[in-house]
Amino acid sequence: LTLMESFQQTDITERINKIKAALRLYQDDKEHVFEAKAIEESIRLLQIQVQLEKDYSHPFTGLSISSTVYKLITINQGNRATKVRGDFKMPDKRFWWIKLRALVEIRDWDGVATL
Amino acid sequence: TGAHLGHTSLNIDSLRDLARKELVNVLDSDHGVEKIYHLQPGPLETDCKNLIYICRPQVNYMKYIAEHIRTHTNDPRGGSYTYSLFFVPRRTALCEKVLEDEGVFGEITKGEYHLDLIPLEDDVLSLEWDSTFKELYLDQDTTSIYYAAKSLMRLQGIYGLFPRILGKGDYSKALCDMMLRMRREMAVDDLDASQTMQLSQSIDSLIIIDRSVDMVTPLCTQLTYEGLIDEIFHIKNSFVEVDASLANATSAPSGAGSGGASTSTAVPGKKKKVPLNGGDKLFGELRDLNFAVVGGLLNKVAKRINADYEERHNAKTVPQIRQFIVKMGGLAAEHQSLRLHTALAEEIMNYTMTDDFNKILEVQQNIVAGIATNKEPEYIEEMINKQAPLGQVLRLLCLYSLVNSGLKPKQFEFFKKEILETYGFEHIQTLENLRRLGMLTKQVTTKNTYGLVRRSLSLIVDEVNEHAPNDISYVYSGYAPLSVRLVQCVVQRGKDGKQAGSGSKGSSIAGGSGWKGFEDVLRMLPGRTFDETQRVDDGQPRSSKRLNGQPRISLVFFLGGCTFTEISATRFLASQEGGQRDFVICTTQILNGNTLTDSLIQKVPGLHTTS
Repeated sequence: LTLMESFQQTDITERINKIKAALRLYQDDKEHVFEAKAIEESIRLLQIQVQLEKDYSHPFTGLSISSTVYKLITINQGNRATKVRGDFKMPDKRFWWIKLRALVEIRDWDGVATL
Repeated sequence: TGAHLGHTSLNIDSLRDLARKELVNVLDSDHGVEKIYHLQPGPLETDCKNLIYICRPQVNYMKYIAEHIRTHTNDPRGGSYTYSLFFVPRRTALCEKVLEDEGVFGEITKGEYHLDLIPLEDDVLSLEWDSTFKELYLDQDTTSIYYAAKSLMRLQGIYGLFPRILGKGDYSKALCDMMLRMRREMAVDDLDASQTMQLSQSIDSLIIIDRSVDMVTPLCTQLTYEGLIDEIFHIKNSFVEVDASLANATSAPSGAGSGGASTSTAVPGKKKKVPLNGGDKLFGELRDLNFAVVGGLLNKVAKRINADYEERHNAKTVPQIRQFIVKMGGLAAEHQSLRLHTALAEEIMNYTMTDDFNKILEVQQNIVAGIATNKEPEYIEEMINKQAPLGQVLRLLCLYSLVNSGLKPKQFEFFKKEILETYGFEHIQTLENLRRLGMLTKQVTTKNTYGLVRRSLSLIVDEVNEHAPNDISYVYSGYAPLSVRLVQCVVQRGKDGKQAGSGSKGSSIAGGSGWKGFEDVLRMLPGRTFDETQRVDDGQPRSSKRLNGQPRISLVFFLGGCTFTEISATRFLASQEGGQRDFVICTTQILNGNTLTDSLIQKVPGLHTTS
């Protein structure tokens, strides 16, 4: 399917285009409301990730939402992480787990203590 | 423990011989193989001029071979090579097409090596076709049914016709139909051969169970010794790869090898392959046991070996000493295998002691037992939040979905979202795969099929004695694998097998009642149920005489794969039959929950390395 092809595209704009093509296919189909929404999200994620790569010169694309947040915390961009969390309305529970694990990884014990 | 440990009366050697003879035929063109290479991409550097490829009929392999040939032809220094290619077990039109397209078709002499059912053990035959499950149920590619049917026809050729074929599941039915058709076609093509086919003297029935009938069992964590080794280290073609340090404990006094196969090539590096089979007596004793009792048994064996060594002090006279020395060889081998299994058991112990393992097991046990609490979905959510391996998460989630005939709509959406956002959006496809297989679905009715089946087949047994098991449920510490329960239905008539021991001693399946008495349960399970009788047409009275004292044999075919634990459970059934019946297990491949979910997870090569 187009979607799987899209994930193999190394070029980001190319990938977004492919995903959009897949999105149209799903939108035509009432059975796949969930999938269509998920794909929209994935485009949004990619766009954010492209921006993040520019800002921090770290690779981000290809990561999931959770991994993106995790990574942001490990490179000390807690605020940015919180913003991504808000963008995707991540459940609190998951966010705190991610934050905890990420802080442990960078041995930020002060951060852990203030959780 | 049971007297029946993998030694059935069916003489598997004739199958082994056949495979061996054919291999010689294949290699006959030029005896004396100089070098063996593993088929891989990239040019092949070799001094040999005659190349023989033996491989599965898969497109990528064809491409590798084509690449080899092309680099050879383009190499000015290169002389002329001859190429032979043998497909295992059969050639396919697709592969020949690929060779044609690659322009190398004419350069290769092609043949087939009919190695289909590989005897992993005296009572376990496997096609070792790893992707069967996915091919059959997801891609609906029925090639493997054809292979299965061919292989069963070969078995019938050796052992005679199976008098009765029973089964459950749509693909099982397809397999049975295909076998019957092949027999009819044979009668047309070659009348003589078909008339010499006799009813089998030793095998009285074939029972085919289709994996789609029982998806719950493979998702459960296996708790037998062999099953756990498979869960943790993954047993492949009856070899397990472990840390060299673990295996080194065994390689100290080499020579008196314990297993039949020798892995003499000491691979430099960290991993080492160790054979696991019935040739290792200790492993034979341990493999089917619940892991809970393995430690105790190892301890006992250690004490006995020690005592045996101590006997040397009692050897005073020369004949006594000589006798002891004769015994020494055996002792050393035993000692070696003891060391290996103690080391393996320790590793497993480290793993089973972890909180995660126990928590997962507890959740899983609650799910299959149908104890409804909110804790199970909560725990799965926690696993996702901790980014536990996706395979583990899906195993539990699918189990939860299967047992409850689907997730509640809100829950369903929630978990899908959680998984996509945590593990990546490419898993839209993974989730779609699982949905199509019915493993992860939205609840449409509140009717709980699994619950009904569980009650009527008493899949959950509360009191389990792992030390002296009296029911197959010991293998999962309380859960009896549905697939094997079905086999039990056929073999032991009477609801819970209580009468089996006394009343139906030596009863023959050929004339038996088959599925009778279980129609209600079978109707609840997916797929068709069937019961066919094969006859010989020459009017001869059906010879169901059995050789004196020979137990009858049931062939159990797990289409779409089975787990080591199911094999153990089937062996246990045989031990309950008190020597009246043996089982030989056939399967398309050996699987476990990890390999199963893994084959369904969408993989995107290179996705996570792009920057």
